[in-house]
Amino acid sequence: MSNSRFSTIAFFLGSSALSLIFLARSVLAEELPKLQNLDLFKLNGFLSQGYIKTNKNNFFGHSNDSGSLDFREIGLTASLRPSPKLQLSGQLLHRRAGEGSNGGIHIDFGFLDYNFANTPAAEIGIRLGRMKNPFGFYNDTRDVPFTRPSILLPQSIYFDRTRNLALASDGIQVYGESRADWGNITVQFGAAFPQVDGHDTEISVLRSLQHRGDLKTKLSYIGRILYEQADGKLRLAISGAQANVGYSPGYNDTLLNGSFRFSPLILSAQYNAERWSITSEYALRHLAWKDFGNHAAFQQSFTGESFYLQGVYRFYPNWEAVLRYDLLFTNRKDRSGKKFSASTGYLYPAHNYYAKDITVGLRWNITPAIMLSTEYHRINGTAWLSPLDNPDMSHTGKNWNLFAVQASYRF
Amino acid sequence: MGFFSYWLRGILFLTLLVTFSFAGNALSFDGSVEVITHPGVNSNYLSKNLLRSIFGMRLRTWQDGLPVRVFVLPDDAPLHSTFTKQKLNIFPYQLRSAWDRMVYSGTGQAPFVVHTEEEMRARIASTPGAIGYLSGSMINDSVQVVHIDE
Repeated sequence: MSNSRFSTIAFFLGSSALSLIFLARSVLAEELPKLQNLDLFKLNGFLSQGYIKTNKNNFFGHSNDSGSLDFREIGLTASLRPSPKLQLSGQLLHRRAGEGSNGGIHIDFGFLDYNFANTPAAEIGIRLGRMKNPFGFYNDTRDVPFTRPSILLPQSIYFDRTRNLALASDGIQVYGESRADWGNITVQFGAAFPQVDGHDTEISVLRSLQHRGDLKTKLSYIGRILYEQADGKLRLAISGAQANVGYSPGYNDTLLNGSFRFSPLILSAQYNAERWSITSEYALRHLAWKDFGNHAAFQQSFTGESFYLQGVYRFYPNWEAVLRYDLLFTNRKDRSGKKFSASTGYLYPAHNYYAKDITVGLRWNITPAIMLSTEYHRINGTAWLSPLDNPDMSHTGKNWNLFAVQASYRF
Repeated sequence: MGFFSYWLRGILFLTLLVTFSFAGNALSFDGSVEVITHPGVNSNYLSKNLLRSIFGMRLRTWQDGLPVRVFVLPDDAPLHSTFTKQKLNIFPYQLRSAWDRMVYSGTGQAPFVVHTEEEMRARIASTPGAIGYLSGSMINDSVQVVHIDE
């Protein structure tokens, strides 16, 4: 079976899951009025509007001018559990965030979950369709404002610049959980096709939008092992993935039938106390291009490094403060970016190869359904800036500030 | 840098405002809280870990195969806070994070939310497989009290 066909099938499965949910809902409502009050069907949603202002560079739209309102997230999440063993889940997402996400409605996930066994000591199951990639602590729910510790997730790991490749994939996932007095261990492993459409992936893999060919998705692997103490105080995780992307050259193309491989490894740790939580994640991100032909930029491989340390302090009921230091090196063997800058004949500045971000923020849960948040970033370097919002990466500002405010609602 | 200093002043002002206007406002309930189930649920006692699996929405059925239906009060209800801390030994925000992770990744479902203790008692008495909690003074014969092993 060809990759694209498999991907089409997975996408079809995802959309069928969604339509099945709505269909089954109406059938159940008519046929089984008694079951209706058991609410086998659940509908949730969220809505957010953000404002971003920077003093240099653009983030999520033209934030550098008068500020950008081009940051909006709207999601509709549905699930149907006709029996304890079977669940159908789906989420539709509309997201605007600068040039990288410019609207439209996408199937964020849509899959069928079959739970073979679920006892007090363990569970095991399988999922089929489009699933969020189990990646670090936050990727699974990265577009839901209420699940994020801050308006923007730490960009060193949860890139908004290149998000589609890590976001969700179409395929199969097996999962299992062991539950004991000393804690729970949850394991997820998936074989799936990542999403490679969208300009953000194209510009990251091919470095420009000028190439004539197309990216094509290839079979990829992802897995996460998560340990949680029984009282949830300590949480530890290790996630790894191998995302594969191919290239089909266009007519008269200068690039050959090459391939790109992204292999991240993430270590995650969190400690939760009543008034505060400390979270830290460290990632090694290996990137490799091969067989694109005789171009220096497409014959290399290097490893990037990401790290953040974050503290959340719940200083008053429904109020939270967050403080974070976030660090990104595009190439861990060139942390200063000087070799990179020299290799471009000093056309691109060294600070395009790193980013150090200190963030302070405040969040107010006005009610369980309404949240207001604000944050300020002091950033040195531009490694996670999107070239789509900043077309001329040779003229980015090295030291810059970002201010953000966001209002969110959910039901 | 202009907007940063304004921002910082704004935050400082807000923080002071909040601290003064709400200081001393205790948000916990000081009576006793009991775990209750539908009378048909075949368990008179549960271990703390099992209770955490149930309210964490990880366990989907009772031993006899009946689906577990979890009922809770809103996140900001004082009794909810007392229940999570006393009976589960976790904090309400941890429970909320766990539910959100399941709901918004499609891997689970959130519990049913009721708004008063009367509603909690009525829903649990009428829903097979239901589990929830009530303050001691609200308990009557329509529901079954479950003992939790420490």
